[in-house]
Amino acid sequence: MNLVEALEIFKQALPEGAQPLRTFLACGFTPLHLQTFLAAHLRKRLPKQRVEVKTGLFGDLAGNLERLQPSECDILAVVIEWQDFDPRLGIRSLGGWQTTDLPDIVKSASLVAARLEQALRRTSAFVPACVSLPTLPLPPLFTTPARQAGDYELQLRQLVASFAASISRDASIRILNTQRLDELSPAPARLDVQSDLMAGFPYKLPHASAIAELLAALVENPTPRKGLITDLDNTLWSGILGEVGTEGISWHLDQHSHMHGLYQQFLGSLASAGVLIAVASKNDAALVAQAFEREDLILSEESVYPFEVHWSRKSESVQRILKAWNIGAEAVVFIDDSAMEVAEVKAAFPEMECIVFPTNDYQGVWDLLKRMRDLFGKSVTSEEDSIRLKSIRGAGVLRESLDATGGSLDDFLQSADASIRFTFGKQAADNRAFELINKTNQFNLNGKRLTDAAWKTYLNDPATFVMAASYEDKFGPLGKIAVLLGRIQGKSVRIDSWVMSCRAFSRRIEYQSLKQLFEKFDAEEIGFDYQATPRNGPLQEFFAELLGSPLTAGMRLSRAAFSEKSPSLFHRVEEAVNG
Amino acid sequence: MDEMETRLARCFSSVFPELTTEQIRSATMDSVPAWDSLAAVTLVAVLQEEFGLQINLMDLPELVSFDAVQNYVRKHKAVS
Repeated sequence: MNLVEALEIFKQALPEGAQPLRTFLACGFTPLHLQTFLAAHLRKRLPKQRVEVKTGLFGDLAGNLERLQPSECDILAVVIEWQDFDPRLGIRSLGGWQTTDLPDIVKSASLVAARLEQALRRTSAFVPACVSLPTLPLPPLFTTPARQAGDYELQLRQLVASFAASISRDASIRILNTQRLDELSPAPARLDVQSDLMAGFPYKLPHASAIAELLAALVENPTPRKGLITDLDNTLWSGILGEVGTEGISWHLDQHSHMHGLYQQFLGSLASAGVLIAVASKNDAALVAQAFEREDLILSEESVYPFEVHWSRKSESVQRILKAWNIGAEAVVFIDDSAMEVAEVKAAFPEMECIVFPTNDYQGVWDLLKRMRDLFGKSVTSEEDSIRLKSIRGAGVLRESLDATGGSLDDFLQSADASIRFTFGKQAADNRAFELINKTNQFNLNGKRLTDAAWKTYLNDPATFVMAASYEDKFGPLGKIAVLLGRIQGKSVRIDSWVMSCRAFSRRIEYQSLKQLFEKFDAEEIGFDYQATPRNGPLQEFFAELLGSPLTAGMRLSRAAFSEKSPSLFHRVEEAVNG
Repeated sequence: MDEMETRLARCFSSVFPELTTEQIRSATMDSVPAWDSLAAVTLVAVLQEEFGLQINLMDLPELVSFDAVQNYVRKHKAVS
């Protein structure tokens, strides 16, 4: 994006009722075009929001952070340069570059790093922050030739790396990845010496745009994809299994098929982070089972569920996999080496990301892995991520058991040995609760999403409560699967948000949740901020059955009506107060 | 308007979106309240992008009107 394009974006009309996104850009230099680019990239990524970018005082990065108040902004963008650690590390200062100054520069940089960390940790309690670390070259103040990294230079780089690693552990702070910035903005084309000295703005325009683009992406923090469906032949491995047999397929260096090994390794990594992996392959099921018994296979069979291996159309396999996972096509990526198969699946599921596996194209596979990191990467992984596959397998067992027993849900649930732990607490660091609110579609009271800042504001409101439910039965734990946000009004409870993971359906957790609310708050009635959405059908069905009347915004449920309609509940219930 | 003038007007329109085409052609620092030092630096950056020029910020005091900017760009574009 160039500057004219950035300025032109502001001429576009905003949709009616656009919500404000108040962004505070904290930097030590004159923000000038960075402010313009940041606003433009944010506007481009978040077209339904009215983007405002405010800035602080010139030359006082730490002070700007320390003065920031919770009511001032919804998101914080912090752009740090070397001169913020010590003015002598910039070119506008003439504070001395003598060899005797170097230890003092490192020492003062260390003190500033500690101050910045403290300020960022304070602000992260009320507003999420996206941080860019120094991107400009260090000035030539070191005694070694430019080709040689010297002691003090390395100490400074180590200091910044330690600072970044430390703040990155705060879930509300996201660090801009310099490796990605290097791809977008070559190091020699970043510093604008004239602009720095004349206007206090150190960046060349393309570099300012690149930083702003990545910061805007960090602010948007798009929901990652949840599942990946992969083909086998010439995709997960090299070779056609039906032609070369289980010993003929390969994924190793000595067979020049190492890129398939890397692909497997990457899928294993995704699976370990909670991404669902399934196989859709036109193949002989018995042969595939044998292939997955090979001990040198890098992606284990346990990481994959389900396997759709037969000779039917790929779109049919994909349909069944989506049903087993109980997620929408837009949350899934399909990968196959056949352009025809990819086109067939894409035609059936237009909202699905469908990618042709670039067999025999080393760079292509490398680029694919990088693209997938962007599609599946998430800011924070949770305990629930690690048990997701297990719980989906458990749900499959549950469905099969119900089918086998002729559908006696009461008998089945009674024997499930289920327990629910309700936690009442308001922890800003509870990313799982925040994630559930923002990605759950089917059992969702109103489809309302919360920004990081709105979430923190809600938690800080003394009139509100947060109830989370974690579930476990003999098929394994589901982890934290439901979140309810509400407020008490005398003998009434008002529910602002209620979401439950689709993995937890058919266990009557929703009934137990309402029962818990009636009992916990000794409530006579619960009101719901209900709104129909194109995708909250399961929630609508639940309420239609419970209320026996048409659903309306602000609908209410009395304790007596609930007691009358609630089915038998077999869970063991625990309650905890947390935070 | 020749091609350069049209491109120049587009640059002005980006920086001063509230001005009409006619107002742009007669724009001066005195007649446009939004033309402050920040806008001047932004205008220079936009001109550099649009015309591939390296404009010395020391020349900013010269660039006080649409006509002055046009003359400056024609002169330096011819040189570069």
